[in-house]
Amino acid sequence: MSVLVVGDGPIADHVRATVVSDVEAAVVVTAVDGRRGVGPVEELDDATIDAVFEQPMQKVIAGLQQAHAAGAKRIVVIVPTIGMSGGDRHAVHAALAEAARITVKSAARQWGAEGITVNAVALAPEEFGVDPAVSGPVAIAPRAMTGAVDPSNTVTWLCSGAAAHVTGQTVVCDGGLWM
Amino acid sequence: MNRLHDRVAIVTGAGQGVGEGIARRLAREGAIVVVAARRAETGEPVAASIRDDGGRAECIVTDVADGESVQACVDETVARFGRLDIMVHNAFMGGIPHKLENARIDKHWTNMSRTGVWASLFCARSAMPHLVASSRRPAGTGGGRLILITSPSGVEGSANIPLYSPAKAAQRAIAKSLAREWGPHGVTVNCIGPVAGSPALLTAFERNPALQNAIEARTPLGRVGDITEDIGSVALFLASDDSAFVTGQTMICDGGSFLGL
Repeated sequence: MSVLVVGDGPIADHVRATVVSDVEAAVVVTAVDGRRGVGPVEELDDATIDAVFEQPMQKVIAGLQQAHAAGAKRIVVIVPTIGMSGGDRHAVHAALAEAARITVKSAARQWGAEGITVNAVALAPEEFGVDPAVSGPVAIAPRAMTGAVDPSNTVTWLCSGAAAHVTGQTVVCDGGLWM
Repeated sequence: MNRLHDRVAIVTGAGQGVGEGIARRLAREGAIVVVAARRAETGEPVAASIRDDGGRAECIVTDVADGESVQACVDETVARFGRLDIMVHNAFMGGIPHKLENARIDKHWTNMSRTGVWASLFCARSAMPHLVASSRRPAGTGGGRLILITSPSGVEGSANIPLYSPAKAAQRAIAKSLAREWGPHGVTVNCIGPVAGSPALLTAFERNPALQNAIEARTPLGRVGDITEDIGSVALFLASDDSAFVTGQTMICDGGSFLGL
């Protein structure tokens, strides 16, 4: 069964190409653009806050509503871990990421009675274009695992019937960087 | 009594509730407090009451959803008192219960986004140079502090007001980011997640005593917090020299109801 994917860009394209499900499912990719609006907070202007936080956050809300309206029983929201770690000169990106991640918990609480699970998958900030040399380290130690990280199987599992009793959670899929 | 002697603090939303409690507690420790309230009708009486109690306080009418208004508040504070050491952003236009699938941006999100997320950034960007200057003062005479008032709902989500949670969560992420950004300047940034007897909650208790019983029953300490003695004292810690090595953290101050951090 195909999965509704809400969002644009390489992560969304990869999810479209790889994730399938045995139940109605949807994936919302948070539009964090780690290359845009990077800078010290005292230089932030309103247009940047609107473009980098407000409009993408409204798209997350709309994406969740679209998923619910489409009858999805499994909903996954993809975010970067920078919302949990914070990031130097990335306050607006972190705000968006964490707002999206916690919206997942609210949705899980409201929609659980309908048999809908809502979870987050958190990827390394670099996947969203964040330069760790600017934002600072996500963790106090290097990534535990080596090699490329592909979140497809994690997302696929959360979209499956097998994950029926997992909701409101964040699965960090970054090879053991953020712990 | 003088842990904040002559330091200057702005407390937004100090015309009532948690903000008022924080303003009173900081003033009791010698801070000059700017009661930043959207309406003079609420802010002026609080400032006057603090003065009547022997403290120093002035009201500056401020709309935190408007960046220019926040900047004007900071500019006026520094013009009047010569410095700004402590910025507490508490003001928030709360949400109304809603179903997420039917939520409307204009009705259920915009006010919370503007007064929670945008206003936190406004307060940060306007206060930043003054907080840095405070941290450059000799030890014991300064120390820049930004304190954002969030909520346990910003960590655990909300079934009743689902879009309240992301607005509060974003504030925590902003605090962590600015803790990294401003750490080299010696400025600390932290959050408080209170459950306190604000006027809104006390009114709800009057209308629905069962709600009070339910909240108290799930709280290990068996009560909601007092805005001044409980919440204000946590703010005092984060504003004072005692917390000089604490940054990027959220202090949930709810009597032990939420234990998930």
